[in-house]
Amino acid sequence: MRVELRHVSKSFSHNGHALEVLQDINLVVEEGEFVCLLGPSGCGKSTIVNLVAGLERPTSGDVLVGGKPVTGPDASRTVVFQDAALFPWLSVLGNVEFGLRMAGLEPRKRRERALEYIRLVHLSKFIQAYPHQLSGGMKQRVAIARALALQPEILLLDEPFASLDAQTRSVLQNELLEIWELARPTILFVTHNVREATGLADRVYVISSRPGRIRDVQPVTVPRPRHAEDPALLSHQHKILGLLGEEVEKVLREELGETVHFPEAQHPAAPERSLGMHI
Amino acid sequence: MLKLPKGSAFLKPVQATAFLFAAWELLSWAIVPDWPSAIEVGRILWRDVREPSFQAALGGSLSRMLAGYLLVMVIGISGGILLGRFPLVDQLMGSLAVAVHAIPGAAWVPLSIIWFGMTEQAVIFTIVLGAAGIVIVNTDTGIREVPPFIARAARTMGARGVKYFWFVVVPAAIPKIVDGLRLAWAFGWRALMAGELLTSVNGLGQRLSQVAKVGELDHLLAIMLLIAAIGIAVDGLIFKRPSSAGSIR
Ligand SMILES: Nc1ncnc2c1ncn2[C@@H]1O[C@H](COP(=O)(O)OP(=O)(O)OP(=O)(O)O)[C@@H](O)[C@H]1O
Ligand SMILES: [Mg+2]
Repeated sequence: MRVELRHVSKSFSHNGHALEVLQDINLVVEEGEFVCLLGPSGCGKSTIVNLVAGLERPTSGDVLVGGKPVTGPDASRTVVFQDAALFPWLSVLGNVEFGLRMAGLEPRKRRERALEYIRLVHLSKFIQAYPHQLSGGMKQRVAIARALALQPEILLLDEPFASLDAQTRSVLQNELLEIWELARPTILFVTHNVREATGLADRVYVISSRPGRIRDVQPVTVPRPRHAEDPALLSHQHKILGLLGEEVEKVLREELGETVHFPEAQHPAAPERSLGMHI
Repeated sequence: MLKLPKGSAFLKPVQATAFLFAAWELLSWAIVPDWPSAIEVGRILWRDVREPSFQAALGGSLSRMLAGYLLVMVIGISGGILLGRFPLVDQLMGSLAVAVHAIPGAAWVPLSIIWFGMTEQAVIFTIVLGAAGIVIVNTDTGIREVPPFIARAARTMGARGVKYFWFVVVPAAIPKIVDGLRLAWAFGWRALMAGELLTSVNGLGQRLSQVAKVGELDHLLAIMLLIAAIGIAVDGLIFKRPSSAGSIR
């Protein structure tokens, strides 16, 4: 299903006065498309995810899914949260079955479907394990299986791999792409990592901060499977880093005061860095 | 805390207890000659627990505690759920629960005696009022304070209404409820003793007041030792073990 944000603004009240977090956001994710949101820390990426998920309402503008305004959360739009957000009292199997139970699926079918998605993320050996017994990467995989098991039309991922090491991250990225190619859900994927965005997405929305606005949209036309060293990818990354460099400097200036200067050599947005990680 | 025999974890309380008794023995032997010897107290306790009338008193106390505690669980958890779930119930009854919770178990004894006489029921009533409050309050808080990350995740997976309540809110509250039940055991045990001391129903509390009247200090200490041991043993055996698995925060 198509996702569209039309002139969306969002303010939070902050010590009595309104803080504008998002300003006039116009954004489209076509049906079956893989779109990344990229921007520095605090620019409002999670807020956009929450708006699409129905966990927040826009202050003004429209959040449309399949042409209809979003009125609340729905199992056809599932979310993989940054911190996995598994239920600690349920096993891996219980967590993946949860949404299916809410949907009223009969126990046998529920079990079958859950096992299928657990297999997809390679956790079949751990179905009886509890979240506190799993590593960070395994938890994220459970969260992904849990979100996919509901066979959502829209999958929202909020920095799902941010806390993982580079190798685990790249394994999970590939798994996600495989799954996406199988079922073709519409994907909105939040990251502050330029490589991740260009490696995964059909299009990358670059968001600027304070207030969050769409700075640019970059279609990434490189065919999959993509290789990290592909010059076409690198040129996309450079373009985006150019835009983001100014953003990151802006954020750092605001947070650290006017005294910081960035010599060319240690530009905060060097390509191998994750944006915002150091903020 | 008494733990299950598991390597060195079991040795520590054993060693600590042995040390305590050795110090006691030394004290009574060398420094305060009037103080009963630990060995003598132990001997009296051993004699008591083999004596049928004492066993009846012990059994009476334990069965009263069991009955009272079961009522505490039922009333506490269902009351807490009602308060947490329905704002109207909370407005009407919330402050009452807090007030009941604020009154120590022993303070309920006079009222219990007026209502039920010097009976078994009076003692059980004391346990219930002394211990149900903490379970109600904890269940209520646990139900209200579902961690936001859990609430959000559940809602995005289609959880709402009654299912949301039973499959998300209640399990999320369980660590808090268990905390309440654990405290309720301690409160209930105290309330039981207060009730038995004052109502003269056949039980450990009544035994205490009997031996105190005739001034049997060593006997008094023996019974108190038993009361302490039961309190610690139940707390250790029932509540110590499963705590790690289900915790949320
Ligand atoms: N419920 C809220 N109440 C008040 N302010 C909020 C709320 N949620 C978010 N904000 C503010 O909105 C801004 C954007 O937050 P958001 O979480 O969307 O940023 P983000 O881009 O996801 O950042 P990060 O990359 O660090 O996760 C922040 O300044 C934050 O303080
Ligand atoms: Mg965020």
